[in-house]
Amino acid sequence: MIASIAFRNFKALRQASVELCPFNLVVGPNGSGKSSLIEAFVRLRTLARMSLAGEGNEPIRSANAPEVSFRFMPPYDRWEAVMSCASDDKCDVLNVFPLSNGEGEGTWEALRGKLLRIRRFELDHAAIARPASRKENQELKPDGGNLAALLLRWRDQLPDVFSAWATQALRVFPEYDDIQIYDVAESDVAFSLRITGERTRVPAHDLSQGTLYALVVFALAADPEPPSVVCIEELERGLHPRILREVQDAMYSLSHPSSHGLSREPVQVLATSHSPYFLDLFRDHIEEIILTEKLGSAAHFKKLTERKDLGELLEGASLGDLWYTGIFGGVPTCDLGGTVSFGERS
Amino acid sequence: MKLAILSESPADEAAIERLVGAVLREPLVRVQSALRARGWPSVAQVLPAVIRHLHFETNADGLVVVVDSDDSVVHTAEHDRPNYFHPLCRMCRLRAVFRQTTKKLPPARGRARVLRAVGVAVPAVEAWYLSGRPADADVSEKAWIDGQSRGHLPYTRAQLKFRVYGTDRPSLVHETNCALREIARFLPDTRRLENDFPGFASLATDLRGWGQPYDEDGRVE
Repeated sequence: MIASIAFRNFKALRQASVELCPFNLVVGPNGSGKSSLIEAFVRLRTLARMSLAGEGNEPIRSANAPEVSFRFMPPYDRWEAVMSCASDDKCDVLNVFPLSNGEGEGTWEALRGKLLRIRRFELDHAAIARPASRKENQELKPDGGNLAALLLRWRDQLPDVFSAWATQALRVFPEYDDIQIYDVAESDVAFSLRITGERTRVPAHDLSQGTLYALVVFALAADPEPPSVVCIEELERGLHPRILREVQDAMYSLSHPSSHGLSREPVQVLATSHSPYFLDLFRDHIEEIILTEKLGSAAHFKKLTERKDLGELLEGASLGDLWYTGIFGGVPTCDLGGTVSFGERS
Repeated sequence: MKLAILSESPADEAAIERLVGAVLREPLVRVQSALRARGWPSVAQVLPAVIRHLHFETNADGLVVVVDSDDSVVHTAEHDRPNYFHPLCRMCRLRAVFRQTTKKLPPARGRARVLRAVGVAVPAVEAWYLSGRPADADVSEKAWIDGQSRGHLPYTRAQLKFRVYGTDRPSLVHETNCALREIARFLPDTRRLENDFPGFASLATDLRGWGQPYDEDGRVE
């Protein structure tokens, strides 16, 4: 949905822009702008809830004030949304401009409706494992904390959705062969998995972190009413490298539903990762990889498609290994020069 | 026959296991399930460790390794001459790894060495899956080699994948189902696949040689 994004003086993204795909994997060192990219999406959603800036009532901003511009994929390609900020932490104005070269028929109101459905997920295994209020069953919470309530609604009201989710989860984790959702106190529900071939059930709070994260990722993919944009950090967190292909499949079922036999509208996905193993899985779709790197105090984006010699490079090493070497950039740099002690640098 | 398979994905592994069974025509016992490598460079890197592990820690008779050729030099009959080694040919390189690794290992578990079966799918395993389909008669190892020599490849790996899976982003489940569906064509008789893809014929020759005496280079005597 969002075709490109351009930053000016937004946190470490002083002058940076990047074109986006339906699926985007963002890799780079800590503090290189990955989270800032996602944060810009979230702020766009927040500002889309409010009235657009009207003529004459916008605050006066300096020419160097933080600003983030968004352009959109068809049918919304005739709109540009510009978010201006008083500071890194306060973006309070959204302007929308028609573009002369856009041909799409999508209205701003329709686009606004989609922007309101942008979601950021920062999964928390403790929250996922805790009992959830059965009332909070409509939409997956950002930390995944209401998974049990969501599953209960699917089981009772959308059995096909529940069955698809459970089938995938139990296929990926064959050590379990059943899921149970049960009441905890009057208003809460929790879930457990049954060990294959045994009667023993493992309550959610005893499941591994990676298992809990994967169950939420599969729920995101199974959701019949998904967000318009899913932003998710450290998608590979806690997962065995061999399970990452299943995670990739789940994300592709959102961003490319027709490839997975689904007729629903595509969901744009923006995921961050630090895993060379996960990166390996994108060898056939390098256009989906965004590298972030920080030069001095300024962060930039790069696309791997800029490397024309990638085919030759991949003959000798995997994509993940190539990234790890640093030849693409997008790796941490450690300043070990000199004998300056902590606190002595000016 | 007790064997292990080193492959790049569960889909490849499922298909290769059935192909190996079709060639050997005897019951297979997997002694080490799901050995996995992360693409070509990783196969060459981990193979010595895998051979060593199987040799000392298991009772495997042999190890099956199948890789994609991608854009590398395709193995030809010329490469099979004694003492010949093409550094850009993946078949030559894998055989060399086998040779060098097994040479250093003392006998263990009642056998001299873990037997070798190497296949190279040109340019990718999806080409094997398309063999024998009337609509894909243009897909063969010869067509790829001819294309390489002309500087104009007859198809891309992405196109082959699309022909097999109907999408450029298949799920693992879909990939496995498609692979097994296509492989079923060869289970009664692998000769067509061997004819169209010498990289598969090499694998079949290695497998049929198991149980026969090998020379020190791993060739059937």
